[in-house]
Order: sequence, then structure tokens, then C-alpha cells
Amino acid sequence: MAFLEMRGIVKRYPGVLANDRIDLSVEAGEIHAVMGENGAGKSTLMGILYGLVQPDEGGSVIDGRPRRFRSPIEAITAGLGMVHQAFKLFDSLTVWENVAYRAEPRRGPFIDRAAARRRVAELAQRHGLPVDPDARVGSLPVGVKQRIEILKALYRDARILILDEPTAVLTPGERDGLFRVMRSLAADGRTILFVTHKLHEVMAVTDRITVLRDGRVADRMITAETDPPAIIRAMTGRNVSLKVDRTPAQPGRPLLEVEGLTLNAPGKPAVDAVSFAVRAGEIVGIAGVAGNGQTELVEIVAGLRAADAGTVRVDGRDVTAAGVAGRRAAGIAYVPEDRAHTGTALRASAADNLSMGFQRRAPLSRRGVLDPAAMRERARGLIARFGIRIPGEGTAVGTLSGGNLQKVVVARELDHEAPVLIAEQPTRGVDVGAIEFIHARLVAERDKGRAVLLVSAELGEILALSDRVLVMYEGRIIADVPGHEASESGLGLLMAGVTGAAA
Amino acid sequence: MDWLSLFNAVLFAQTIQAVTPILLAALAGVLCDRAGVFNIALEGQMLIGAFAAIAGTYYTGSVAGGVAVALAGTIAFSAILAFGATWLRGDPIVIGIGLNLLASGLTAFLLRILFGVSGTFTDPTMQDLPRIVIPRIAAMPWFNRVFGGHSVVTWAAWILVVVIAVFLFRTVWGLRLRGIGERPDAAETLGADVAGSRIAAVLAGGALCGLAGAQLSLGSVTLFAEDMSAGRGWIAVVAVMLGRGHPVGVALACLLFGFADAAGLRLQGRGLPNQLTDMAPYVITLVALVVARGRRRRGAMA
Amino acid sequence: MNAAIGAVRGAATSSVLWAILGGLVVGALITLAAGHDPVAVYGEILAGAVVGPNLAETVARAVPLVGMTLVAAIPLRGGMVNLGGDGQLVLGGMVAALVALYLPAPGAVRLAAAILAAMAVSGAYAALAAWGEVKFGVPLLISTLLLSYPAKGVTSYLARFPLRDPSTGMPETFRVEEAARLPVLVPGTPITWGLVLLLLVIAAVVFTDRRGTAGYELRLRGLNPRFTAYGGVDLGRQTVRVLFASGAVAGLVGAILVLGDQFRFTDGALLSPAYTWSGLMAALLAMGEPVGAVCAGLFFAALQTGGFAMERATEVPRVLTLVLQAVIILLLAMRHGLRRR
Repeated sequence: MAFLEMRGIVKRYPGVLANDRIDLSVEAGEIHAVMGENGAGKSTLMGILYGLVQPDEGGSVIDGRPRRFRSPIEAITAGLGMVHQAFKLFDSLTVWENVAYRAEPRRGPFIDRAAARRRVAELAQRHGLPVDPDARVGSLPVGVKQRIEILKALYRDARILILDEPTAVLTPGERDGLFRVMRSLAADGRTILFVTHKLHEVMAVTDRITVLRDGRVADRMITAETDPPAIIRAMTGRNVSLKVDRTPAQPGRPLLEVEGLTLNAPGKPAVDAVSFAVRAGEIVGIAGVAGNGQTELVEIVAGLRAADAGTVRVDGRDVTAAGVAGRRAAGIAYVPEDRAHTGTALRASAADNLSMGFQRRAPLSRRGVLDPAAMRERARGLIARFGIRIPGEGTAVGTLSGGNLQKVVVARELDHEAPVLIAEQPTRGVDVGAIEFIHARLVAERDKGRAVLLVSAELGEILALSDRVLVMYEGRIIADVPGHEASESGLGLLMAGVTGAAA
Repeated sequence: MDWLSLFNAVLFAQTIQAVTPILLAALAGVLCDRAGVFNIALEGQMLIGAFAAIAGTYYTGSVAGGVAVALAGTIAFSAILAFGATWLRGDPIVIGIGLNLLASGLTAFLLRILFGVSGTFTDPTMQDLPRIVIPRIAAMPWFNRVFGGHSVVTWAAWILVVVIAVFLFRTVWGLRLRGIGERPDAAETLGADVAGSRIAAVLAGGALCGLAGAQLSLGSVTLFAEDMSAGRGWIAVVAVMLGRGHPVGVALACLLFGFADAAGLRLQGRGLPNQLTDMAPYVITLVALVVARGRRRRGAMA
Repeated sequence: MNAAIGAVRGAATSSVLWAILGGLVVGALITLAAGHDPVAVYGEILAGAVVGPNLAETVARAVPLVGMTLVAAIPLRGGMVNLGGDGQLVLGGMVAALVALYLPAPGAVRLAAAILAAMAVSGAYAALAAWGEVKFGVPLLISTLLLSYPAKGVTSYLARFPLRDPSTGMPETFRVEEAARLPVLVPGTPITWGLVLLLLVIAAVVFTDRRGTAGYELRLRGLNPRFTAYGGVDLGRQTVRVLFASGAVAGLVGAILVLGDQFRFTDGALLSPAYTWSGLMAALLAMGEPVGAVCAGLFFAALQTGGFAMERATEVPRVLTLVLQAVIILLLAMRHGLRRR
């Protein structure tokens, strides 16, 4: 029996089976990769292991003993440690304060600061994680912050360490440093679970791989005996083929032009000198695993965030200095990634939600006075046209399923009939029927001569819809592939950062 | 007007005097801020403390009894915010506004019911807070004018500045509290009891406000007047913001306001109408907030 | 039939009704502890609010109280808190008095100019606090409250010294002459044309909230500011405009009180009935929704008027009604929180 085993893990969320009888087996002292696309079930599985989430069925066995953790602190006490993708650090406290939090060496009521500093320094030294114990965490670059998260786990003598997408925000140099640490920890007898989508990293540092797809284990491999294409095949496999019938694109003039957009961030830029254009009558898809700068890029183009450098032009007009209202007036419609907190007001009715952005012009308003009957009628029309399943236009949208809520957002934004449409993760968390519907509408927009910018982490979606595919990785556009040349394996490799490799 | 004579020992003494209740309330605010609880009820808590102190002194016949009642009463009053904002998940802003108004109405009500008067209550038999006289200081005339003769509570307030600073930055529980206020989610994954710590912080703050109230009503003249907190609780809230939740910074902010308050009193003595001089601390507060924009810590209140 | 059942069920689970019930229970306990009979006390409040001439008194008191409710409710609808009602109120009152006293123009013109000037100045003062938040990040909650102190101080000073009427022994301005006063609406009662003005304001607020573009944008902001900004609304401009409207209503209330009731600006007279705070609590009870806020304001006005009668009849201090209002708000805050779980 392996050191760490997860047996028969089942986890259901409303509308989706996140983990479908997953078995995981990891030896002590092993670096084990847990791979899969977004939504494959990796985060849920690790959340269950770490006590953040409770499984519906199944459990973990560690060193022969069955274990169920009801909270992370229980997992920590049992020897687990997790480095989250979004760090859980106290920015205003020092490094040693963060590491020793709730496990402080004490002298009566006082913290033995010298002892704490010393222990942290020793730990850092021993494991090759150089840090300054007295530095304020908020001022540190991302790579160092990650070291602190690892130190937190080691300080509590974690024998099993879970790293969730640890290299997303690291520079190549910091990444090599992390790999060195991982190898030394493994040599020390600790077990490392490395959750990632990045192929070359998995090839470089892991011993074995478990690939998840659609909530199930797709394949188990030994790293030394496999290769990137095999892994990609396991990760993407034969998905539900989202074929959308469409005629070849006949693109016209550029309606959206982005040049040199840069957004600085501690470490490396979140958006790194991005330039591209979207022409009338084409769908440009930006492929990439979430967290590579797409969210920030879209926020900048939509006017919700200011860039540090670069310009945005809509139909030739420079809108770089304009805010949201100016961009919308210039002709940008935007389906945001976060439909619940940005794209809608959950407590408001469907009519209210569908009217946002239209409330200042006819037929909804005249001279500052709204026409509620017109609002309701328009809402009813949109509900019918988009097949939104809702009791009535006066019902609050917070009760809607993901797919229906997304339809509300899409209906509203499409009704703007704007020359440029940005759709960000438009079908995340949406049921299949709604997915097909939304895809058909996006193609229809394109056929009407609009410029559609599609940002998605779903490879299938990108392939089904895009006339051109840009791949975003670590803040940069690393490829521009015509639609008919794009393939799952080719894009998969690019999304994983492997450039210039044969498909 | 002889401006120089304004800035003499008596002014400093009056400043220290005026600062005490604001400082204590601000320290309460510091604890709540560090715990992550938005507490705008400092004004009401101080008022309850002032009334409880007077009632306590009157009925127990001793000022110690008065202070004890002030502490107990304000802690009980603060429990509404402590539990309301944590267990019951109520909006701390609405609770704070409600508590301020409850304090104002309840103290006016009790003033009439218990003592049969409205407006103010005083009784010549009531003791005021004992004063501290330190022989070393008494021997030096200027220092004595500034530091001599302050009440027990005033000395306690300044000692508490140090105690709370040490607590926050040197003790185990202080560190844990600071983590909870900054990132309750991160603290929770490491095992913290966020609600429990917040309740403790608000109740401890209540005790401090009780002392503040006691200083108000028992510190120099022993009387209770309706709404006698007169906006000091709000100044305390601003002091927490300006001092960024650090006891020493907050104490300095309080001194600034106390100085404006005392200077206003002096100018009043020189013939300026009190309606205008009373404005001084609030105007200074506003100016300070504008000047200090963007330099806030982003805690619950700072 | 279904609608009626729905309404009853809605009422039964309504947080507001539970909070009011709870408040009445707590009030009864306090009354008992003070040695009085709660039933008799509540009976006196009820009678004191609506029986005979008391009804006119309630209506007259409702005018400033509902006015101040709107002052708080207008920004609250958008999730913003205006705690500076006191300052905006006295500023409006003083400006109205000054214009009515010293503007060289016929009486009716003075009256109209006084009202407009009061609204403009108070509105601008509230907008000043809004500007403080938009430009300097000073929280509206704090800036509105702090600004009320200088307003109170300056008007108090003006009434006591330079503009004081030496013939009376009180800190107040000269008396506004008949021609520039708000005429009585219902003879034999204290109800003036101020009621008509207030009704116009209520109509305007409710209309804007239900049918105005600005009302829609404000309401959606209260529900989700991020969504509203994403939709293209300039939140900063909205803040300043809404606070201006809020302050203007406060100015109107001040003008109505000075020109229709007291006929002079007397230091402290506008503030002692605590209209601002009762109004704030009524607005909180309705969470800023205008019609609900007006009803809550009426309810609290009745409570307050009834309180006066209660005190005369039973010697229970009338400030009990303020305590009741505060308890109701606290219970509501807890109830809302519990529901959100």
C-alpha cells in the first residue's frame, strides 16, 4: 500500500460531478503530478485531501491510517501542508510572524522573537529557501512569498506538501529554484503533490503523474516512460465535440486594435507588451490556462482597469483614456468572467439587469424618465429570444442557474449590437444546452460583421469558434495560429508553454 | 491678544485632561480595528460609561464602585455589537448607529427615572476620581503644573497605550489578533477562532470605553449631562484611522485633537465665543483626514 | 385570494414587523422595570398620537421628521450613509431666516427665495462631504458627521451674537414678519403649507426612484456598485449628486421649520426634537426604499407625538420613544444578518 492513498473520492456540486470515484496513490518521497485542464477536478480533490472540502464518498489513507479532516488545521496537525495558488499571507506582518503564526515559540505571554527568527532562518537555510525573517511580507516579490508559504508548511513539519499551480507567477529563475527545493524535500522523505497544467515542468521534476479529466482519472503514468503528447491526449481526450457549423470568415477592417499593453506587477508583468487586432467579421480566440494575464488584459480593454503602457483603439478611435462609459459609447460590449459579482446584480430583477447600459436612451427612457413598461417588454423579448428559463422578468436573477444567468448577461450585451464584443469565459459553469446556444449567438454576431474577442480556458470552445487563435502564456501572446491550423495537441502544448515543438 | 501666554503649562495640562476620554475610546477602537470589527459605537459606549459611572458612584457611595459599574455596564452594552456583528452577522454600521442612539435615549431615560431630573445630574456628596500626586514631579513647578494632579484614569490611559502596544506587537495573543483582523480566512485555515477573538476584542474595548466615560463624568466635576460625550467618540474613530491602528500613532492623533480642544477652551477664556472654539477639534479632524488620504492601513477602521 | 395569502405570509416573515414587535416587547419590559403598566403606557402613546387634536399634531410633526427620513433614505437607497443631517438642517434654517429677514423684496418673494436658498446651501454642504470622499477618500460616513459640527457651531454663534435679537432673552434672530412666513394650511392646527412642500418632495423622490433614470442607477448601485460601474455609471458623480439632493431636502426642512413654525432661527430649537436621528432610524428601517421610509417616518412621528401625551399622562419620560426606535433598529440589524446566513 502506498504512503498516501485517496480511495473512491466522490464530490457533487449542484449541476456537476466534480470528482467521480477518483483513486490516487502516492509513495513517500515521491514528487507526484496531478494534472488536468480547468474544471477537471484537481482543486476539488486537493481541497478534500486538505480538509477544505468534505467528500460525499470515499476518504484518504495516510501511512496506513484512514483519515478524514474536517478543517485545514486538522490536516496540518496530521502533517499535511498546502501552498495555495492565491497566497494566504498577512501582508502587514513580517516573514517570521507569518511562518510562526499560531505556533509561536513563547516565554509566558510573550513571543520569543529571537527563537522564532532563529528557527525560521534555520529552516530557510536547511531547505534552500532564502528569506529575510524580518522583512514585511507585503513588500516581497511573489517568488519569495511562495517560499514563505512553503516554510509555513515545513515549520509545522509537513510530511505531505501540496503545491497548487505554484509556478503560475514565477519567473524562470524562480521556477528552477522551486524545483531544487522540491527535489531536496523529496530526498528528505517528504511527499510532494504538484498540481499543474504545465507540461515541461512536469517532465522536468516529477516521478509519476495522475491525469484527471472531467472528474475522473484519465490515466496514470510514470514520467520517465511518457512524453508530452501522451499527456496532452490524456488531458484533452475525446471531449464532447462542440462542433459549430460556420462558414469561413470574411474579415474586414480592424475594429479593435491593441498595442503594447502592459500591466506591471511585483515580479514579472501581468500583461507584457500585448499587441493584436480583431477585425470585423472574425472571432479571435485567446487560449490559455486561467492566470496567465487574460483577466487583466480584458479588464484593460473594457476600461475597468488602467494599463501602465499601451493603447486601445476601437474602429480607429483611441479610447485609451476613456473610462467604461466612454468605451461602451465607442462600441465595446463586454461579457465578463464573473457573472455574479460584475455582470449582474443578483438581488435585482431580470428586467433591471437587462436594462443596465440602456437606461439613458430611448426606448427605455426619455429625458431622464424611464418607461417601465418598455423595460419589461424589452426584457420579455430578450428572455424569449434567448430562451432564459425564468418565471418572469420581475424575478430576481440570483435564483437562476449558471447557464441561465449567463444567458442574461449575454442577452444584454448582444443587444447593444456593439461593433466589438468581448466574451470572457462565456460558458464556464454552464450546462451543455446553454453552451451550444451561446456559441451559436457568438458566431451569429461574427456573421453580422462584428469583431468578437473570445477569451477562454476551454480548448474545445476556442477550437470550435475561433477564426484565429492567440495563445497567452505568462502575460505574453506567444502564438497566432489560423483557425484551420489549430489543433488540440498543438494548442495544448502552446498553452503549457511549449513553443516550437512539433505537435 | 498675547499669543505666547496661550502656550503655557496650563494649556498642556488641559490638553492631557481633555485627551483622556478620547484616548481611551480610541484604544478601544484600535482593538476593534485590529480584530476586524468596524466599531462606530464608541460615542454611545462612552456615554453609557459616563452615566453608569455617575449612577454607580451615587448608589455605592464610592468612586471605586462607580468605576466598577461603568466597566460592567459598558461591557454589557458592547455585547450587543460583539455578538451582533459576529454570531448574528448583523451589519456593524447599522448596529453602531443603533447603539449610539440607544445610548443617548437610554441615558436620558434613566436620568429621569432614577434621578428625577433632566439635562444634568450632579450631587455634592459624590466623590470624583482620585488624583495622582508624584512627589518628584510636585517638586518641579512647571512639570507639576503640566503633569501633576491628573486623575487615576488619565494615568491609566497612558499606561494602557504602552500596554496595548506591547500586547499587540510582543505577545502571542496580540499577533494572533492582528492576523485575524487582516486576513480572517488565512487565520482560520491555521486554526484561529475568528468570532471568539472578535467578541473578546469588542468587549475589551467596551471596558476601555467604560473608563473613558468614567473620566468624563467623574474626572474633574462629578456630573452627568445628556449627550455629554459630545462627538468625542467620533473623534476617536478618526484618531484610529489617522494613527493607522497603532496605539502610539493613535495617541499622537488624540493629542492633536486634545490640543485643539484645549486651545479652543483657552481662546474661549480670552473672549472668543465658545460656539466657534468648540468647532476646533472637528475642523482639525477633517483637515487631518484630507491630508492623510491614501496613507491608511486598510484594516477594518484604519 | 392568493395575493392576499402571499401578503399575509410576507408580513408574517417580514423582518421589519418582527423587529417592531420585538421593540415593543423590550419597551414593555423597560416600562415595567420603571414601575409602570406597559398596556396603559402604550395606550397613552396611541391615543396621544391620533385622538382629537393630537392627530394634527402628529401630522405637523411628521413634516420635519419624514423630511429628515428622506434626507437619510435618498443616499441609503444607493448604499451611502449621510450622518450630517443635523448640520445640513441648521444651515438651511439659518439661511432661510437670513434671506427672509434681510432680502430687500416683497414678502412672498422672500419666502420663495428663502426656501430655495436654504435648499441650495444645504445641498452644497452635503455635496462637499461627497466631494471629500470622491477626491480624498474620506469616508462619507465620517465626513458628513464631522461637517455637521462646524455648521452647528457657526449657526449657533450667529444666532447668539451678530444676528441676535436683543429684545428677547433667547439666543435667536429677529422675528420673520408675517409676509414672509409659510401660511397655515389647516386653520386651528400647526399644519402649514410646509406639508404641501413635503408632499411635493415625496412625490418627486418616489417618482424618481420608480420612474427616473437616476433612480434606477441609484437603486442598482445600492444592490451592486461593481455592476453599476461596469454598466458605465460614473460612481463619483453619482455620489455628489445624490448627496446634494439629500442635503437640499434637509435645507427645505430647516426652512419649513423656521418659516412655518418658529418664525426665527433659535439656537438649538431645530435640533432638540431629534428629527435627524429619528429620521435616520426610519430610513434604516426601510433600507432606503422611499415609500417604506415615508411610512416608517410617519410611524415614528406618531410615536413621538404620542410620547409627549404619554409623559403628561403617566410621567414616563417621553424619550422612551427614542429608545424604542433604537431597539427596533438593532433588532432589525440582527434579523437581517440572520437571514443572510
